[in-house]
Amino acid sequence: MNRIETSIDKVKDDIRNFYKPDLYHFVVINAVDLGEKIEVQWFFCEYANPSNIIAFCVQINPDEEIPSIRDIVESSWVAEAELVDLMNIKIQNTAKGFVLEPDFESGPLRKKK
Amino acid sequence: MGKQYEIPLGAQHISLLEPLHFKFTTENEKIVDTVANVYYVHRGIEQACCSKFKFRQVSFVVGRVCGLCSVSHTTAYSQVAEKLIKIEVPRRAKYLRMLVIELDRIHSHLLCLSHVAENSGFEALFMKTMQYREFAMELLEAVCGNRIQYDFSIVGGVARDLKPEVGKMILERLKIFKPQLDELVDIYQNNWTLSLKNKGVGLITKEDALRLNVVGPFARATGLAADVRNEYDDLLPWKEVGFEMVLDKAGDVHARNMVRLRELYVSMRIIENIINGLPESALVTETKTFPDGEAVARLEAPRGELFYYAKGNKTQILERLKIKAPTFSNIPAMVEAFKGNEYGSAPAIIASYDPCLSCTSR
Amino acid sequence: MKLNSFRKKSPWILHYNAGSCNGCDIEILACLAPKYDIERFGIINTGNPKQSDVLLVTGPVTKRSRERLVEIYAQMPEPKVVVSCGACACTGGVFRGMYNCEGGIDQYIPVDVYVCGCGSRPEQIIDGVIEALAILEKKTKDLEQSIRLKKEPVKEDTQLNRRDIAAEIKEIA
Repeated sequence: MNRIETSIDKVKDDIRNFYKPDLYHFVVINAVDLGEKIEVQWFFCEYANPSNIIAFCVQINPDEEIPSIRDIVESSWVAEAELVDLMNIKIQNTAKGFVLEPDFESGPLRKKK
Repeated sequence: MGKQYEIPLGAQHISLLEPLHFKFTTENEKIVDTVANVYYVHRGIEQACCSKFKFRQVSFVVGRVCGLCSVSHTTAYSQVAEKLIKIEVPRRAKYLRMLVIELDRIHSHLLCLSHVAENSGFEALFMKTMQYREFAMELLEAVCGNRIQYDFSIVGGVARDLKPEVGKMILERLKIFKPQLDELVDIYQNNWTLSLKNKGVGLITKEDALRLNVVGPFARATGLAADVRNEYDDLLPWKEVGFEMVLDKAGDVHARNMVRLRELYVSMRIIENIINGLPESALVTETKTFPDGEAVARLEAPRGELFYYAKGNKTQILERLKIKAPTFSNIPAMVEAFKGNEYGSAPAIIASYDPCLSCTSR
Repeated sequence: MKLNSFRKKSPWILHYNAGSCNGCDIEILACLAPKYDIERFGIINTGNPKQSDVLLVTGPVTKRSRERLVEIYAQMPEPKVVVSCGACACTGGVFRGMYNCEGGIDQYIPVDVYVCGCGSRPEQIIDGVIEALAILEKKTKDLEQSIRLKKEPVKEDTQLNRRDIAAEIKEIA
């Protein structure tokens, strides 16, 4: 797993420069609660060399809005909708309620304080 | 432009094994738009794995993510946990894991094929395929002790050894199964009625598959060579036991059927090779370290690529476990491939995706 | 009158997955297949709740599927029996206590037969359905019985007087 550390402003441009549909395969978006901050990871994998897994890592504050990569990777909408519900973070143009019922308290994967 | 109607399918429907809801917008019987609601089965396994269960118990919990490919889930979790505690699995355990994964693939593919036949309206073929499938369930019971939910892989190795007489029984049963599989291939390939329902239906091109990041037999039916077993030798030695990529070009329901059927021949060959060349070694590597750092593992489940991410913090309980199931990647393409088809063929198309929603929603 | 004898010989089952792992579901499918062949008891799988007599439920009830479960149960005509298949449908199993799960289906609908096991074997499922048929027959008889409402005179007044158990009111000085 190759980590590429980047920042919230630059991550979208980085992915736009990196992603080629016929070379790389979008896997999933993951988020880890680190306590104060949340780390968001975009996973990609190479078709020709499947053991080469690339992760774009960004550390954000819980109330920051992260950009959606739906215009670059079309199939990322499922992962984004899931992240919004389970981690209770804001993603551009993504509504709540895809995974959990609307009346449910969102963010079950966040650490309890 | 004709008048548009919205037709729902699900959450409970005769053609669905699990709750899944599609809302089709149709125009003169043709589907023009689809909305999917797939998270009926969300249970919260990821959160429970990081709070309630210790990391050695988690391999039994993640098996309950999905009953069809439970051994793929337990093996993928075991691999990621072994990376975290930095141990190497014995060689015999690796071979036994591959054996059970391939037996599981046989029963899963035959189930999917029978389901396609049933949803296309061919009840007799459903019965025939299910009858031939039973041998795989009996073999799995002989190897693992249970028909489903095997709990075969544990962190560090496997839970059971393969007895020599069971190995002999597997080889004998495979010999009986081979002519039966030839018969099935003949029916699925040449039956005129079935091909009317399956050829050119649920079409997706290779460009769309690349754009939408499709995995598994769904992708291989379009000609996209996406198989984790290929070129991935460090965790399970697939190449050694005779793995071969199966590809098709058409990308419709019929092509998916043919990919699954031809993969069964590959699986049978892999099983024969494993039993004939099973190495001797211990079954489990013991260690007392706790998981630390972060790791990922990928594995080819019957439906496609399975992806596990885990992070440890030097305690018994993991910090984070992320499961990415194959159907999760296929949902955008599933919604796309309905477009332009008749509403009447929707159940057959759904079955040909082989969706596993308990994997997707966890 | 004929309908009842037919119902006993050919009960129709309805299968609903309320959040199971698919394990018990494929065993129900295996029951329909030639090896176990549940059709020799006249049982067929139907997708319509309005035509079915036996409801087979698998899985712990997830928050999104519970309303559908109650809805399907309500749509089935009387008499009806419910069979819960698998450990998680009976008690919640390994999923008990997870944030999006209820523990077992008997918190929402009455269950007549519990089939245990993770996953339930086809033999167990067939046994459970056969047991449910006996209950279905009994329920049919109960429905047909004419009911006379009886009113017995009250022998003694066992009801508590609220004033006797009420807390004392203290005067505020």
